[in-house]
Amino acid sequence: MHLSVLDYLSLLQGAVSTVSLSLSGIALGVPLGLLLALVRWSRVPLLSPAVAGYVRIMRATPAVTLALLIFFALPNIGFEIDPVPTAILALTLNTAAFNCEIWRAALLDFPRDQLEASASFGMGARLRFRRIVLPQIARTCLPALVNEMSLLIKASPAVAVVGIVDITRAAVRIGAQTYRPLPPLLVALVLYGIIVAAFVFAQRSVERRRMAAATS
Amino acid sequence: MNDIDNARVRAAAGEPPVLNVRGISKSFDKLQVLSDVSLTVGRGETVCIVGPSGSGKSTLLRCINWLEPPDAGAIFLSGRRVGRRAGGDVAMSDSELAQIRTRIGMVFQHFALWPHLTVLQNVMEAPLHVQKRPKAEVREFAEMLLEKVGLGDKRHAFPARLSGGQKQRVGIARALAVRPDLLLFDEPTSALDPELVGEVILVMRQLARDGMTMVVVTHEMGFARDAATRMVFLDHGRIIETGTPAQFFSAPATDRARQFLQRYATSTAAVADV
Amino acid sequence: MIKDFVIVWEHRDQMLNGLMNTLWLSLCSAVLAFALGALLTTALTSRARPVAALARSFVDTMRCLPFLLFAYLVYYGLPSFGIRFSNWGAGLIALTLYNTAYMAELLRAAWAGLSPELIEAGHAFGFFGLNLFRRIVLPPVILAAVPMIGNQMIQIIKDSAFLSIIAVPELTHEASSIQATYFVPFAAFVAAVLLYWVLCLIVEAAVAGVGQMAEARR
Repeated sequence: MHLSVLDYLSLLQGAVSTVSLSLSGIALGVPLGLLLALVRWSRVPLLSPAVAGYVRIMRATPAVTLALLIFFALPNIGFEIDPVPTAILALTLNTAAFNCEIWRAALLDFPRDQLEASASFGMGARLRFRRIVLPQIARTCLPALVNEMSLLIKASPAVAVVGIVDITRAAVRIGAQTYRPLPPLLVALVLYGIIVAAFVFAQRSVERRRMAAATS
Repeated sequence: MNDIDNARVRAAAGEPPVLNVRGISKSFDKLQVLSDVSLTVGRGETVCIVGPSGSGKSTLLRCINWLEPPDAGAIFLSGRRVGRRAGGDVAMSDSELAQIRTRIGMVFQHFALWPHLTVLQNVMEAPLHVQKRPKAEVREFAEMLLEKVGLGDKRHAFPARLSGGQKQRVGIARALAVRPDLLLFDEPTSALDPELVGEVILVMRQLARDGMTMVVVTHEMGFARDAATRMVFLDHGRIIETGTPAQFFSAPATDRARQFLQRYATSTAAVADV
Repeated sequence: MIKDFVIVWEHRDQMLNGLMNTLWLSLCSAVLAFALGALLTTALTSRARPVAALARSFVDTMRCLPFLLFAYLVYYGLPSFGIRFSNWGAGLIALTLYNTAYMAELLRAAWAGLSPELIEAGHAFGFFGLNLFRRIVLPPVILAAVPMIGNQMIQIIKDSAFLSIIAVPELTHEASSIQATYFVPFAAFVAAVLLYWVLCLIVEAAVAGVGQMAEARR
């Protein structure tokens, strides 16, 4: 395929970057999204509309612009920041906004009678959330959350603008060096396909295990 | 003279029956739904097809306009073959089939009105865009039909805003708008709340009186007894018995028909007042 | 800080130029992607197995692929086959083709949600082929699809920002250029984010307008 071993290694390194940054973004963004959704659901004064505003703007902001904003603008107002934290922060903030809406939809749709039943059994809000609400909404939100995860992976090439070498940037660089741009781009395509497929596969097996547990 | 005699006179004069169903058989997977069903309907007749659930009544109706192609047998509309070209070997093209279908009006159990169109647009849609009639004529006729079914004031409403009975009356107007040779009714009142059934039955009775050729699959025995010119009893995909309503309801010839009628005894009495 | 925003305001022409380019790119590719996507949907649901399989693999590939990578494939990869585009051309084509897949998938979902009875009634009244599609199938599908199309439109606007990396002078690129020249990163990018938000508001307003049409018929 005209690619040397070094080139493949470079792409794999890019893959490591992509996967680790994406996983960080997901690991932080999913719980953060839940937290934001809870803030909105319980209608905390001041915070709640602030979260609503944040979500609205973040859903309209491209990942590239956000990464540039964080990387160049934060030092401007006094915070020095490195590329990797920038990337993680950008991906996290972005995905948290979308996850907030996903969680919030499930919370709003949650059957009121179950909440009332829990209250009548003397369950406190925290206990009720942990044992009644969360397990159920986690199940219903899973497909949408996984969908958002694959969207995050597809937005991850944005980190190239702050200097990080992910799969896409590695592929372009190899192409520029070897004057054969197509092969590394195609390998990059396959790598992304594998990563996204891995997520979808993981989701399906979690669902299958749940179904088996439910019917046994 | 009653309608059956009229039909016989016309047949004797060489006019083909409006509908001629010959030896229709149909199976779905391994299940035989219709076996060798034959039926003729003359002009102005109102034929009611009744029978237990699963007897194949709806399938028979849907074979008539080739929504379900039968496995065997032939169907003729006013002498013209449906679904296959003259010899019977070659299937009709889509446009040939459409031409035949536009001479048959169908009223569906769940109304099947097109939701993105107003009531008036629903009624005008097929005459305008299939039959390609001039717009002014179509509009005038459509408005007249809507008046006739009692929904003139709902012309510009969307189907979602109508009750079930209103939707079905629009469905009937829509079927009439194509000026069909034959009207097919597929359990037109089965999906309606009981208090809405009457308004639809009223319209259907009027159509029968006006001499429309109708084939009605129904459970409404009251309507059948009052408006049908002929009853057809279907069970397990075969025609078990036919006859006038008088014959069928008071003196059914077969045991199966008798059993079926016994089950409907109470509902017959209740609907008789409609 | 205020001084920075003043500088950005002084160069608002450049920013607005970028905004217009973003808008133009997004609108053109959205319209084209919708039209092509509608065609692709018919291929997706075609009864001819090879056609449907081909369409399916195209859609699945695009859904696994980051947009930037696809843009690179069009811009850097196609010249290997002798097809060369300018960065503008590559950007527009990539944005269009990429979203064709998403539009097709979204329309297919809306189509699948149609009640089969409506289509059967269409057949019974003599509609078939293109006539059936245009008058009976397409209008309810579009009405159902509009909110999803609105979301896709916002996604298109956001994906267009990736094109700044191949030097297409859209909004992010121009904001970046201003901040690099005048050292006003915070002001420039905040302005850009606000402008993206305004675009998003416009799309949402348009969707809401059409949504009202859909509500009347629901």
